[in-house]
Amino acid sequence: MNMGNMMSFIKPELLVFNNLMFKSSAPYLWVLLGIAFVIVLSVLNKINKKWFVFIFMLVFACLGVRSAFQLMNEPAVLLFNQMLVSDSFGSFFNILFLGSAIITALSSFRYLDKQEIQHPEYYILLLLSSLGMMLMASALDLIVLFIALEIMSLAVYVLVGFRRHDRKSNEAALKYFILGSVASVIFLYGVALLYGVTATTQIREILKHVHASQGAMSPLFVIGVGLILFGFLFKVACVPLHMWMPDVYEGAPAPITGFMTAGLKTAAFAAFIRVFTSLGYGTAFSVQLQNHFHDLLWVFAVATMVVGNLVALLQTNLKRMLAYSSIAHSGYLLVGILSGCLNQEGYAPLLVYLMAYIVMNLGVFAILSFLSSRDDTGLSLYDLSGLSRRHPVFSFCLAVFLFSMAGLPPTVGFVGKYWLFYSAVQAGEVSLVVISVLCSAVSVYYYLRVLVYVYMRDEVSSFGEQRSLSIFYHFAVGLMVICTLQWGLMPSSLLQIAKKVVMSF
Amino acid sequence: MEISPFFFYLFAGIAITFSLFVVFSKSPISSAFSLIVVFFCFAAIYALLEAHLIAALQILVYAGAIMVLFVFVIMLLGADKEVLDFKKSSILLKFSAVLFCGIGVGGFTWVLNHSPILIGAGPHSLEKIKMVGGNTRAISELLFSEYVLPFELTSILLLVGIIGCVAIVKRKSLCVHK
Repeated sequence: MNMGNMMSFIKPELLVFNNLMFKSSAPYLWVLLGIAFVIVLSVLNKINKKWFVFIFMLVFACLGVRSAFQLMNEPAVLLFNQMLVSDSFGSFFNILFLGSAIITALSSFRYLDKQEIQHPEYYILLLLSSLGMMLMASALDLIVLFIALEIMSLAVYVLVGFRRHDRKSNEAALKYFILGSVASVIFLYGVALLYGVTATTQIREILKHVHASQGAMSPLFVIGVGLILFGFLFKVACVPLHMWMPDVYEGAPAPITGFMTAGLKTAAFAAFIRVFTSLGYGTAFSVQLQNHFHDLLWVFAVATMVVGNLVALLQTNLKRMLAYSSIAHSGYLLVGILSGCLNQEGYAPLLVYLMAYIVMNLGVFAILSFLSSRDDTGLSLYDLSGLSRRHPVFSFCLAVFLFSMAGLPPTVGFVGKYWLFYSAVQAGEVSLVVISVLCSAVSVYYYLRVLVYVYMRDEVSSFGEQRSLSIFYHFAVGLMVICTLQWGLMPSSLLQIAKKVVMSF
Repeated sequence: MEISPFFFYLFAGIAITFSLFVVFSKSPISSAFSLIVVFFCFAAIYALLEAHLIAALQILVYAGAIMVLFVFVIMLLGADKEVLDFKKSSILLKFSAVLFCGIGVGGFTWVLNHSPILIGAGPHSLEKIKMVGGNTRAISELLFSEYVLPFELTSILLLVGIIGCVAIVKRKSLCVHK
């Protein structure tokens, strides 16, 4: 057979991987290299695995952060047949994900010793799930987005069940695995339906298709978008798709709970923004379709805020309380999604809020990892009684983070909430903002109640377990406190970064 | 392209019937074997669409390798002792399950009937695949050029699975004390 005359599907331009592309994919390559390196290290016998694995994981994550910082100011580059993009938006989120992985690793090191589950796989899975998150934030193709979502979720399922000897941890992992898989499958079905309508999975091509048909789409398209929406809302735990969250947060090891609140939710929202704007939400949909999705998200946002905040009032376990507070924060973030397409600042307030949210959650969970006792208990409100006498510095830090979560000045939580609600008012969502502010006022009660126990109650006498302090806890908590106060007092640099990132996208 | 409606409905019907068996069958083994039938029906539908390579892979990978693993795990766990009893679930649960399934099926039927198909043939039509030199060649070329990123990411996904398994079954901790 004469092969020379034969046609081929291979487009020659796709076989090139030039220097620019190599540079633009550097953060992913660093993380991949780190994963490979740590895997090799963890099977070597002669070395002290614990330290080597930990340090090299941090080194490679830092290298990834560094190259992402360099890419922040570069113009957008399309990679791999336009399935991945390296722009400021993606780089910004890459920094956030790798940063949360680093802080999580720092606060896990002594925690894993204490729980006697110091395995090198922990750090490998942390890197793998942050790789999945990074790909999610930069994917321009729904297939890539789905695979990235699965990489992230699978790694997190295992991390949730990492305390294998504990029933609660097992239950949480299994529950999360089954429910998460169902949500993934529904998401995938939505992708398949969109492919059926538009004959492409690339979100920019889909947007072209929507523009071409002037936003009046067939019912099949609407159902497809609805199913994708369902997948995202499940991942960010919106009421009524939130049932998995409290149990999973309670059962997971404390640092992983922090990683989930910070990384997982941010990844879901980053992909949410990219996909929804690209499917035509706010720009290309017909008025009827736009109103339809707007109302749907409105109902979700209100339900999420109200239920999250009210149920959090009743919780006495700190991890469970923070789980419900995390649900409530999803509601505020949905307010950002709703108003993002209607005001002049776009999604910038949402990004600032996400940053604030990451910083304060990682901080709180670093402290909780330190406070938790060997079987991961000791995190109820009563256990915190009189904490200020035992650990005055950490108590102060906890107070800063909780003030920030409640949205009180001078913390970054206040800046985030203020800007988010301000932009929502600009977008004409007055009733939504009124509900959000009321919910936020309710939340002050349960955040400050923790501080009442910490500062105003007497110490429980039976509570004498010695805790090994380490420099890593101090470093993680200190860094987060500095970020919380620095950005809270001088927010202008933060706002500028967020605006620049949103402009690029 | 025309596919014979008779064979399509035949295989689709068998697939749906056996999928229901998978869900409602009382012992895991018969569930697993019903699943094999479902996979074969899918393979037949792929073959009707002239995607012969996918049909063959479907049988080799799913009906072959994956099902053997399923059956092996069922055998190891001896799960046939625990038979699920549907009578225990409440009538309200059954009712709502049936209701939502009905709404789902009805809704999708309506939607599919009311959605005009506006798109033409895609870039990978049958004639083009024939010109390129068949399914196998077309798929392998696309896999390593246009779809190289999803392809490589899938291997990372498998890596996550492997490492996850190791993490779950590992016994010894690196901790020195204890």
